Amino acid sequence: MSRASRRDFIKIAVAGAAGAALARPALAAGKPITLLHESSFIKTFDEYMQKTLIPAYAKETGVQVTYEVTSVGSLPTRATTVAETGSGADITMNITLMPFLFADKYADVGDIAEEAGKAQGGWYDAGKEGVFVDGKWKGVPFANIGQLMNWRTDYFKEIGVTKFPDTWEELYEVGKKLKAKDHPFGFELGHGFGDNHGWLYPLLWSYGGAEVQPDGKTVSIDSSETAKAIDFARKFFKDCCLEDCLGWTDVSNNKAWMADQISCTNNAESILWFAKRDFPEIAKVTEQSMNPQGPKGRFHLLNAVSHSVYDFSPAKEEARAFLKWMTAEKQLGGWYASADSYYQPLLHGYDNHPMWDVEPRNKPYRDALGSAHLPGWPAPASRHLAESVAKYVVVDMFAKACSGTATKDVIKTAEGQLKEIYKSAA
Amino acid sequence: MAIRSETYASLGRTPRRPFVLSEWVDRGPVFSWLMMAPPILFIAAMVGYPFCYGIYLSLQDRPVAKPGTFIGLANFIKEAHDPVFWQVVANTFIYTAVATVLKMIGGLCLALAMNQHFKFKNIIRALLLLPFIVPTVLSTVAWMWILDPAFSVFNWFLIALGWPKPGPSWLGNPYLAMASIIVINTWRGLPFYGITLLAGLQTVPVELYEAATIDGASSWHRFRYVTLPLIQPIVLIVTLFSVIFTFADFQLVYVLTHGGPQNATNLFATYAFDIGMGGGQLGLGAAVALAMLPALALLIVAITIYLRKKA
Repeated sequence: MSRASRRDFIKIAVAGAAGAALARPALAAGKPITLLHESSFIKTFDEYMQKTLIPAYAKETGVQVTYEVTSVGSLPTRATTVAETGSGADITMNITLMPFLFADKYADVGDIAEEAGKAQGGWYDAGKEGVFVDGKWKGVPFANIGQLMNWRTDYFKEIGVTKFPDTWEELYEVGKKLKAKDHPFGFELGHGFGDNHGWLYPLLWSYGGAEVQPDGKTVSIDSSETAKAIDFARKFFKDCCLEDCLGWTDVSNNKAWMADQISCTNNAESILWFAKRDFPEIAKVTEQSMNPQGPKGRFHLLNAVSHSVYDFSPAKEEARAFLKWMTAEKQLGGWYASADSYYQPLLHGYDNHPMWDVEPRNKPYRDALGSAHLPGWPAPASRHLAESVAKYVVVDMFAKACSGTATKDVIKTAEGQLKEIYKSAA
Repeated sequence: MAIRSETYASLGRTPRRPFVLSEWVDRGPVFSWLMMAPPILFIAAMVGYPFCYGIYLSLQDRPVAKPGTFIGLANFIKEAHDPVFWQVVANTFIYTAVATVLKMIGGLCLALAMNQHFKFKNIIRALLLLPFIVPTVLSTVAWMWILDPAFSVFNWFLIALGWPKPGPSWLGNPYLAMASIIVINTWRGLPFYGITLLAGLQTVPVELYEAATIDGASSWHRFRYVTLPLIQPIVLIVTLFSVIFTFADFQLVYVLTHGGPQNATNLFATYAFDIGMGGGQLGLGAAVALAMLPALALLIVAITIYLRKKA
């Protein structure tokens, strides 16, 4: 090799390296990140993230995002592994109480949440309730997966009811008549994840009951209000519902609905979504309404969904940037719309979004956001509450009463359990 | 003196043989340790470490994602005050005892039947293993349909016999729910018993039966005094395994009832999982899981002692 050719080689090599650096901005743009999410019941929702948002973000910034999907129900287990080992994901989806369990491992994302709130009509109170831990936004609220009343218009019409009853007592009267006509109600009283809490906490609240006081320490389940809610639940179960509800998990009411076995239940929007897809005749006679009200008001359960950035992430800045980008209106609106309205936005800016016109029967899920609370309300969510929920204290209190145990006995048992759980909070 | 001691020193020294690896490996103690090392390391890493970590966790107040605080036996004391914990203890013992007895009796009958000569014996033996082979989650989903009053073949049959509609609520009634999970566990575990006992039966020499027959023994006597004593060690070993598996059962209950209704089917494993993973109380969850250890350990020790005596 002559000297001239050696110099040429160096020139080509330098030019090549510079060209490669320019052609691959990803290397300079930032570290790749992983977003952990629970598989959605609505397939198009996951597809929108994978096929639209992630490629668009890569094109815009060069940052590669991996969308890791866990099976339904296993997100808390996976999140526990990530939090305990300090690796595996940079951003995670949260459901219900996760921000309160993992708060120490989450970065403060108040700047992102507040900016999104300002730009998009402001957050519902429920948005903040789901992520605000010790004065900090430990996640950016995303949505609520509401639990509302699903009812059969044809069966209700048979007894002359065309509008959903406004109070629990009115619903009871309807249920009694429908059970007599072999169209019972089906409300979960077993150990599912959501459809049991979905109606039992709102029922308790609507009669004025609360498991713990707002101080988060004083157990207050033993009250006349709780007793009234339990007495109502007992007669509601006996005279309106299927006996099998006591052993139901979350799949059961969906199965019973599609099998034309029940005329009213409490579920997320998914029940109508699946009926439209697989049982169109049942979908035609499915209507959805807000929960009935009790003597102390009308309430709904907050199944809050949010996103948090792991504080230990080596790509924390990239993760924050992606979360910020994802929460901007341009991206967020499309993502919400990809699931119709299964994920109800917690930003007022979406109250009149065209997504609500795709299926107007879903609109009550939007209207319920103003009265939605986390389990355990009015106490702030905490690790103690998470233990109470995991032990099904409130659910089993109602279920035992429905099985025939005296009201005072079920309250006494629940009180004993709650006092033991909240002992370390006092 | 110096010369003498040098002489002795040189006398004591034998010519050193060069170290040969293959010879060293061939030595009994070395070879046996080499063979045992991988499983020991594996067990230490996969069972020993988690077990010790479990004990460590159970002595702490350790919420998920937070540092733990040593609290001694406070988690166990908290458990003792939890009525659900005692319900879980009772559930687990009932579930294990009834299911094990049913599997033992059923498995023995199955093995005796399979030990006979009949057509398509091999195919039927293979088919009998199906409940054991099918993944538990999958077969449990099938049972979920079987036990759903709207679709249940049992309810259909009972209603045809005049039972009022919609028939029994298998998973809604606490007693029926426990009975249901026991039946499903038995259905799933029966082939394990059956096939293992069948292997035992086939080792019983035919001459013993012939001799007993000549002595005038009836078929019951042949079973009672020849078969049963000879397969007893195998029955004990299978029971040992079965008790451990049943005691720590998780999947069946988790998928079918999640411990409901009202904790009627909650077992140690499902309750510990809910507290640890659902409630984020890793210390308390570990304590619940460890609470099953003394009972299991006692049982294992008792069976092992019995087996040694027999041997």
